[in-house]
Amino acid sequence: MCDACGCDLKPEEHSHDSRVVEVHQSLLAANTAMAKKNRVHIEEMGAVAINMISSPGSGKTTLLEKTIEALGGSLRIGVIEGDIETDRDAERIRAKGVPVIQLTTGGACHLDAAQIHKGLHLLEKEEGGAQLDLLFIENVGNLVCPATFDLGEHHRLVLVSVPEGPDKPAKYPKAFHSSQVFIISKTDLLPYFDFPVEEAKAEALQLNPDLQVMALSATSGEGFEQWLDYLKEVCAH
Amino acid sequence: MHEMSLVQGLLGQLHELAKEHNKEKVISVSMEIGPFSGVVIDSFQFGFDILARDDALTREAILLIESPPALYRCCSCGMEMKAEQRPERCRHCSETLLSPVGGDDLVLRQVEME
Repeated sequence: MCDACGCDLKPEEHSHDSRVVEVHQSLLAANTAMAKKNRVHIEEMGAVAINMISSPGSGKTTLLEKTIEALGGSLRIGVIEGDIETDRDAERIRAKGVPVIQLTTGGACHLDAAQIHKGLHLLEKEEGGAQLDLLFIENVGNLVCPATFDLGEHHRLVLVSVPEGPDKPAKYPKAFHSSQVFIISKTDLLPYFDFPVEEAKAEALQLNPDLQVMALSATSGEGFEQWLDYLKEVCAH
Repeated sequence: MHEMSLVQGLLGQLHELAKEHNKEKVISVSMEIGPFSGVVIDSFQFGFDILARDDALTREAILLIESPPALYRCCSCGMEMKAEQRPERCRHCSETLLSPVGGDDLVLRQVEME
């Protein structure tokens, strides 16, 4: 440490005509502040928000389609879709008759709070989008980058499908220790893949002992009741 | 590779600081990147090397990164242990459930400018 000004450089590395400014601020401070505003905005809409994180192709959109089919009659559901390109996911959700908007990040590997801020205003303009019970935010398919950005959600959900293999929690720890719920999806494919469910659950719990773990198939309906009960419970609070 | 967008945010913050303090050149930037921040230090450094060189304010800036060791707490006995890699078991009671403690900071500590 430099004795003259207390900065981290060695004395020979700089002159003292310069000025050291103490900042001590998170690089994510702007995102976190915006996320806080989003959370208030979402609560004013009456909703609980769930941020869904997974690799591409884990079944996030299919899970949403089946969830809307099961609960769309009793809960007001809205969806913000995040993808790098196309509005195909939003089209699938729109076909289920709930308000949805598509955010395309144009190459960025994650959604951030500023995009969600914009998304909330767009969603409010959709028919039925201003008052909701449940808001799903389907993040860009990526198990790494989305984990760093608070969007203003109330719950974070990480999803791994059976064909991806059971070692995701160990390989991508941040997504698992920043989430409250871990869903193992496509369990109807268990006969065809080597996916020891109990081992995967135990490994995820080692990373985050507070995780609520569910195994389900949106196609066969196996384990789906537990998921629907969970959603009803978070909306009741 | 969200490190690139984080570096872009950092450069934006440096421009604001330079304007605020009426400075034209950043000499050094000190950051703390926690082991559970989800940021790969080499990627962050790589992003900085590319983006900072493209910018008159930061062209010659040195990036100093400090990363505190990872800390885990045993869910059974509460013992805290520092470790490079997640320990398989608690060294005190052999419990396998260990929670990471803090370490998710991504902090701009200080900036030297002239």
